Amino acid sequence: MHQPKSVGEAAEMLARFGEKGRLYAGGTELLLAMKHDLLRYEHLVDIKTVPGLDKIEAKNSSLSIGGTVTHREIEKSAVVRERLPVMAEMTRHIANVRVRATGTLGGNICFAEPHSDPATLLLALGAVAKVQGKSGEKALSMSEILMGAYETALAADEILTAIEIPLPAKSQRAAYLKFQTHERPTLGLALVLSLDESGRAITKAAAAVGSVAPKPCRSEQAEALLTGPREKVERQLSEASGALADAADPVDDLEGSAEYKRHLIGVYLRRAFAQVLSGNPPGREKIAD
Amino acid sequence: MSKQKKRDFHVVNHSVPRRDGRAKVTGKAAYVSDLKLIGMAYAKVLRSPYAHAKLVSIDTSRAASQPGVYCVITGNDLEGLDPYYGHAVKDHPLLAIEKVRYAGEPVAAVVAVDERAAFEALEYIDVRYEELKTVLTPQEAMAKDAPLLHEKKFEAGALRGFEGDVTAGRGTNLCQEHHIKWGDVEEAFKKAAAVIEGEYYFPMTYAYAMEAYVAIADVNDNGVTIYSSAQHPFMVRHDLKSIFNLPVSQVRLIVPFVGGGYGSKSYTKIEPLVAACSWKAKRPVKLQLTVEEAMLTTRSDDAYTWMRTAVDANGKIIARQAKIYMNTGAYAENSPLVVEKSTNRCVGPYAIPNVQIDNYSFYTNTVPASSYRGFGCAQVTLPGESQIDELAAKIGKDPYEFRLANVAKPGQEFFPKMRPFDGTLEEDLAIAAKAIGWKEPLARGRGRSVACSGSDAGAYPLTSTAVRVHADGSATIMTGSTELGQGSHTVIPQIAAEELGVPFENVRVVSSDTAITPYDRSTGASRTTTLMGSAVLEASREAIQQMVVMAADVLKVKVEEIQVVRGGVRCGEAQLNWSEVISRFYGLPDGEVIGRAYIRKAGKFSQLPVFWETACTGVEVSVDEETGKIEMEKLATVGDVGLAINPALAEGQDIGAATMGMGIGLFEELVYQGPQLMNGSILDYRLPRFSDLPKKVELHLVENQDGVGPYGAKGGGEASLNSMAANIANAVARAVGVRIRQAPLTPERVWRALKEKEKVKSQK
Repeated sequence: MHQPKSVGEAAEMLARFGEKGRLYAGGTELLLAMKHDLLRYEHLVDIKTVPGLDKIEAKNSSLSIGGTVTHREIEKSAVVRERLPVMAEMTRHIANVRVRATGTLGGNICFAEPHSDPATLLLALGAVAKVQGKSGEKALSMSEILMGAYETALAADEILTAIEIPLPAKSQRAAYLKFQTHERPTLGLALVLSLDESGRAITKAAAAVGSVAPKPCRSEQAEALLTGPREKVERQLSEASGALADAADPVDDLEGSAEYKRHLIGVYLRRAFAQVLSGNPPGREKIAD
Repeated sequence: MSKQKKRDFHVVNHSVPRRDGRAKVTGKAAYVSDLKLIGMAYAKVLRSPYAHAKLVSIDTSRAASQPGVYCVITGNDLEGLDPYYGHAVKDHPLLAIEKVRYAGEPVAAVVAVDERAAFEALEYIDVRYEELKTVLTPQEAMAKDAPLLHEKKFEAGALRGFEGDVTAGRGTNLCQEHHIKWGDVEEAFKKAAAVIEGEYYFPMTYAYAMEAYVAIADVNDNGVTIYSSAQHPFMVRHDLKSIFNLPVSQVRLIVPFVGGGYGSKSYTKIEPLVAACSWKAKRPVKLQLTVEEAMLTTRSDDAYTWMRTAVDANGKIIARQAKIYMNTGAYAENSPLVVEKSTNRCVGPYAIPNVQIDNYSFYTNTVPASSYRGFGCAQVTLPGESQIDELAAKIGKDPYEFRLANVAKPGQEFFPKMRPFDGTLEEDLAIAAKAIGWKEPLARGRGRSVACSGSDAGAYPLTSTAVRVHADGSATIMTGSTELGQGSHTVIPQIAAEELGVPFENVRVVSSDTAITPYDRSTGASRTTTLMGSAVLEASREAIQQMVVMAADVLKVKVEEIQVVRGGVRCGEAQLNWSEVISRFYGLPDGEVIGRAYIRKAGKFSQLPVFWETACTGVEVSVDEETGKIEMEKLATVGDVGLAINPALAEGQDIGAATMGMGIGLFEELVYQGPQLMNGSILDYRLPRFSDLPKKVELHLVENQDGVGPYGAKGGGEASLNSMAANIANAVARAVGVRIRQAPLTPERVWRALKEKEKVKSQK
């Protein structure tokens, strides 16, 4: 176990250890996998001791959540609850309180577990991952960083330092719903809609579905179908959910068959749509599970 | 509460706080995993990746030379031992010999200075397997060209606990069969006014105990000593005695606190393996399994049941017939008895004049199945209690009224040759129905059900105990019953305190050390309160009889002149408490009196079952018709326990059992894909949580003092599990009109059933 003092030093260590090392940012997934001998590392680089990565900051048009901020801190953060309540609500329903108290947002994204709740919501919110490696910094969108199950675009020496989430405009409303009977969700669905002034038409839509396949996904076709006058969109909901399901391409697993998951995408898209338009103040929606 | 007048009890029938509560919640209770012997080594097990394969060769030389390794043991190293064990059928080698029969079977063990060293050496064991064709279901197992799991004929185990023959090892994959028959079912079905017929599946489930299997063995020239998390130390002793060919006196099983059993820790599990490790390593060895390994050690028998039930024009059940095919996995374990019990329990607590049940269990290349709370009853109560509702619906009767009209009545000989029914099901059902608001209108998507079960419980009556009354009037009970969390070590001293008239606090329990405590056959089948409770009651009274004689001696009067009063004796003006009797008898304030009791299949226990374990549960569920997800809205349990020695503990058992049954009804199922267990961890195997329980829970006890146990008590603690899966299926049928004949009722299964219903409707 190594405890670097800076991101640079951590990147240096990771580069040196190569496949024998892994970043450790909470361990709720990593240590479990190591305990079961699914993963073996000789070196763990504990990023939690690096100062500056555990901050939540509201900027003008975005919210920045440091890589080592725990889920519990996000859930309880006054800033997140006020500026991005959907994020706080989603976080409140991640796993259980012990996991939330230890697990970090950065760790969650970088482990790329296919059932990640944050990944799905962040994808719909258009969040960006700030990444720092030995040779410098860069920013990756959620669809760029998440490559597949347990697979990210990060090089061995690269560290996710923060997630930057655009703050929703006044006209925007968001919801994250999930269906869960097992330890992990069967389906997570995030919907972000921009409404015109009348509130009767949707000017922009983002819908992301996660847990049903190796990585969360969006569909341009579905989002086009979710845009337009409200009544028209309502009529197009099942077509939109079909497009989203096609894009997600659900897999059969212990949580359910692909067919069932496709059906659930339809149910939850309708429920999310109704909830987003239910007249709650923008971004004040409750999460149901 | 009881309609009869209860005796005025001092200690019994009071909810005194459980004895072990404080130690357990403060982390001070010592379990086997907390124990450490001098010079103790640690073992880890190498498990087969194949479900059925010949062991071509095992090379342990590289592993044996790893740092910290004392030795490696395989099935080739067992010369000098009798490596096969099993109380019913001796079919189970302590390590695979010549072949493996399920994925996860122990093939070798490494003994090392610590667990890590043992674990790391495992990958240096080189095993060559030659894969064989597998059989995974009863259907595959009974096919004509099915490969055989067990080629050899076995010896029957010495303690099988049932009267019939063992059918295993006769050149087929049949492990056990059992049949009951009375009346003429064919004729009855011909005459029936209505018949329901269907096929049902009860899943493989894992009896999750928070503490996984753990044992320490110390095998040396003085014999075998084992500390184990075992329900039945005396049964395990017998297996070890025969493995090591030792006299009983040289095998000692010690059971400290146990972190839950639920049947999964009944009979012998890892003790032979850890004993063999100690035997080879020549030092004490601890083996602690992970939960994932425990899930590869035992499970419940899954059951495919075809059943039909018939009523006459008056709404009386006139016949039931079933064929059951159970999947016992790679080894028999206790499944032969599960087969017998599930056969009997098909009748339910109903008085049915024509019955025929044929039950077969088969060996397959899956994790061995064995005892599981409820013991074969849940497997057949899913079909049985489903059919009661299905029949009621078919003939247009209220299922609750239909049950009332057909359940066995108190004292009725509803099961030939068995003890007459000793419960009051009409009263029980009425309480359950009232608790869930049976007659109230139902909201859309909601359904209710009440269901019951009656099990021939109590296992075999063979129990002994000693109650030592000390010179200060305090007492020590020597009991072979194991405290698994069920509360036996609170209930047993309550009985002794009641009888001896001494404070509850002054009665201590010493338990579950076969070298010290008298023989008790088992802690299971809800038998402890009834059988050990009776033994403790009789031993206390026998101690009193001895003290009466002593008092006569001390007071120099005739025995007949001594009158027993609470906590002592009286003779004319003279009154002595037990302390005074004993002290004056010995002439010093020291010494003791030992009361004994031996319970056997005689007297009031001559007729089996020891008692009918009877309970009802009631549920209300709501169904999300879009997703198929079921929510529990109400739950009621009614334990027909005769008399609750400790009502709070009895209710605790009922809610625990009902929660476990709810888990099976909603989501618990071990899933195999081909020969591999897919969800063999508690991350993937969904256990019930507190948050799954409904907000409205009512726990009721019916105390008519109609049991054969102390003060009219009889066992409880399993029965509330049995009817839950059927209850959930019935409530779903009532809520959304689909009949699901398979547990668990996962959201997807409910959704598929709803989709099918829509399809059928649209075709009409």
